[in-house]
Amino acid sequence: MELLNRLMALQQRDGALTDDALKALARELRLPLYRLEGLRSFYPFFRMQPGAPRRLSVCRDVACRMRAGPGFPESVAQALADVDGVAVEPVSCLGLCHAAPAALAGDVPVCGDAATLRDGMTGRRPQPLVGDPPAEIAEVDPYPGADARYGTLAELLRSGSPDAVIETLEASELRGMGGAGFPTGRKWRFTRAAQGMPRTVVCNADESEPGTFKDRLLLERAPHLVVEAMVIGGWVVGAGHGIIYLRHEYEHARETLEQALERARGAGMLGRDILGSGFDFELELFISPGGYIMGEETALLEGLEDKRGEPRNKPPFPTQVGYNGGPTLMNNVETFALIPRILQDGAAAWKARGRDGYNGLKFLSVSGDVLAPGVYCVATGTPIREVIEHAGGMAEGRQLYAFSPGGASTPFLPAERADTPVDFDALARAGAGLGSGALFVVGEGRDLLDLAIQQVRFFRSESCGKCVPCRVGSAQAVRKLEAAQNGAPESGLASLLEELDETLAQTSICGLGQVALTPIMSLLHHFPNEAARLRREHA
Amino acid sequence: MNDTVSLTIDGQPVEVPTGATIWDAARAIGIDIPVLCHSTRMRPVGVCRVCVVETGARNLQAACVRPCEQGMEVRTDTDKVERNRRMLLELLLGDYPEPSAREVTTGDDALLALARDYALETSRFHRAGGATEGRRDTSSPVIVVDHQACILCDRCIRGCDELQHNHVMTRSGKGATTHIAFDLDVPMGESTCVACGECQAVCPTGALTNRSLQGLRVVVEEERP
Repeated sequence: MELLNRLMALQQRDGALTDDALKALARELRLPLYRLEGLRSFYPFFRMQPGAPRRLSVCRDVACRMRAGPGFPESVAQALADVDGVAVEPVSCLGLCHAAPAALAGDVPVCGDAATLRDGMTGRRPQPLVGDPPAEIAEVDPYPGADARYGTLAELLRSGSPDAVIETLEASELRGMGGAGFPTGRKWRFTRAAQGMPRTVVCNADESEPGTFKDRLLLERAPHLVVEAMVIGGWVVGAGHGIIYLRHEYEHARETLEQALERARGAGMLGRDILGSGFDFELELFISPGGYIMGEETALLEGLEDKRGEPRNKPPFPTQVGYNGGPTLMNNVETFALIPRILQDGAAAWKARGRDGYNGLKFLSVSGDVLAPGVYCVATGTPIREVIEHAGGMAEGRQLYAFSPGGASTPFLPAERADTPVDFDALARAGAGLGSGALFVVGEGRDLLDLAIQQVRFFRSESCGKCVPCRVGSAQAVRKLEAAQNGAPESGLASLLEELDETLAQTSICGLGQVALTPIMSLLHHFPNEAARLRREHA
Repeated sequence: MNDTVSLTIDGQPVEVPTGATIWDAARAIGIDIPVLCHSTRMRPVGVCRVCVVETGARNLQAACVRPCEQGMEVRTDTDKVERNRRMLLELLLGDYPEPSAREVTTGDDALLALARDYALETSRFHRAGGATEGRRDTSSPVIVVDHQACILCDRCIRGCDELQHNHVMTRSGKGATTHIAFDLDVPMGESTCVACGECQAVCPTGALTNRSLQGLRVVVEEERP
């Protein structure tokens, strides 16, 4: 963290990490130059040369692309071409999908068409700020007011036992909400049992999967739940140190988190001898220098260790060998945020909040062709169709054509599967998955092939480049898909994609490469019209 | 903890020290698992993936980095293993330069040799027009760098850093733009490289070759009638 923090500070001071600045830093820290080059060239926050004084980062991913058309970043660039001192750059999903098409003006979330964005940048009109989406956060906050916060922690420190916490989490059947769905209680048990030092609790707040913005809203509205669960996690696994790894585009969440940390310290919920229990726990915030891959848990650990964010080969898993070689308890923002409520109400009450035999509540980021995109808290087991109704129903009078239930890494499913309940296993049985809970809704008349290719392009662009299948395979797939989209699918493309998909899924080091072709494969499997456009006989 | 673990590889039982990799265990009983990035002189990194094997896990495992486990049943020779290795090689060959500077000089290009083992003559992939296409660095008096022949196996970097402790090389860039680099990504001849030669000695492809050999050609003796 120390070195990346230094580089972040230099970048902010100079607008770039110049060769001269890196040479001076290398001398000061007695580091070889290559080490700094490896970092500078890997993280998108860093630049070699200072760019224009003001920057507009325009989202190129699916929710924005569907609303504004494929050439949106380019048309914004064109609209601002004659404006001095402004650079427009296309970027991956910013987690502003409810306001699509969206962009960041510096750190400020803005939205609107090219002319609107231009007027905001030139000062002709006020910046078109992104408004707050509907967000049903209060559902999971067990506390009636600020004074009651951290009550679960206080109770545990007074009279609870770490083993009982683990038993409750196991009984609740809570699963990791970052996308992988690993049973949370089991993860806490493994980490508690693991030998070694240092012991660390990490919150993965690097939410970056296209269509996912639930963690941002949770951090903006209820950061105290995450902080509290991390302290509880530290107490359970015997860790005295916690780190929240936050993506740098989430400036507002950074502010709310910092306030929450300050309040927690003031109230004696962080620091030495918490509430007189003898338990010490310090929590710090680390701002990521960027890149979707950093949300992969072992890439994240490499980043915390000041290395290029390239995923590690597993095993060993972070519960055994994590941050600086010690056992690490890492959970996603939502997973942590649900824990105080579960511990307050008990496992049975939590499970009863699901419906039709499914357990608990789930946050979904709903975007695309719905009237009211936002973050919705639904009973697990709610059919997708009802979630869409809950989000205002279909927009512009469109009929539902397709949906992707869990972010770019989950397949697109056709409208007739919209009765599938929101649940890890039920969605897996329907041929998809719950992933990160990003429900992306596509209406009739949209170009689904274009959207699926953009998802693959996203993975290509966000690949770290470490292993062959992902680095080379994703780039080759995008080339061939673009050729097909332009009307020239090569002969045998569909079967080549099947073979390539197997190799990416079977041999890539991490989840990014493993799912990189999933969006396009789901079209080949479930959408005959789009599949035909990938076959030569169609052209 | 036990000091050894027992497992089977392609049906053959083998007992190895705890922590040994599948690749090490296979080697001990004479089973050859192909590698491009791994070298017995180096810490394994598992990036080329051609050493993948079946262990019963959800996906294939890279033998060079996967520790053996008690009772594991490893298969190194299934159809699934072979077709995925073949695809990896096909991907690497897609933008591989013709000719390979290593193959035409010392004749020991490991990628081309493995491709021959898999009877791969052509690739369904073509040059991707990536960051390294056609990029050659001839600034060093000793070593020629052909970025397009680089498969990012990390051997040169480990050789430079961990074997020779010269601390010059890194991966620069990300994703499809990743390439090997010297210091702050300057030409090799302008870097702090001391031309020890380790990188070109461990390079399995035509990416790093000895300059003095350039122009030489492997001669195949004609068989006398």
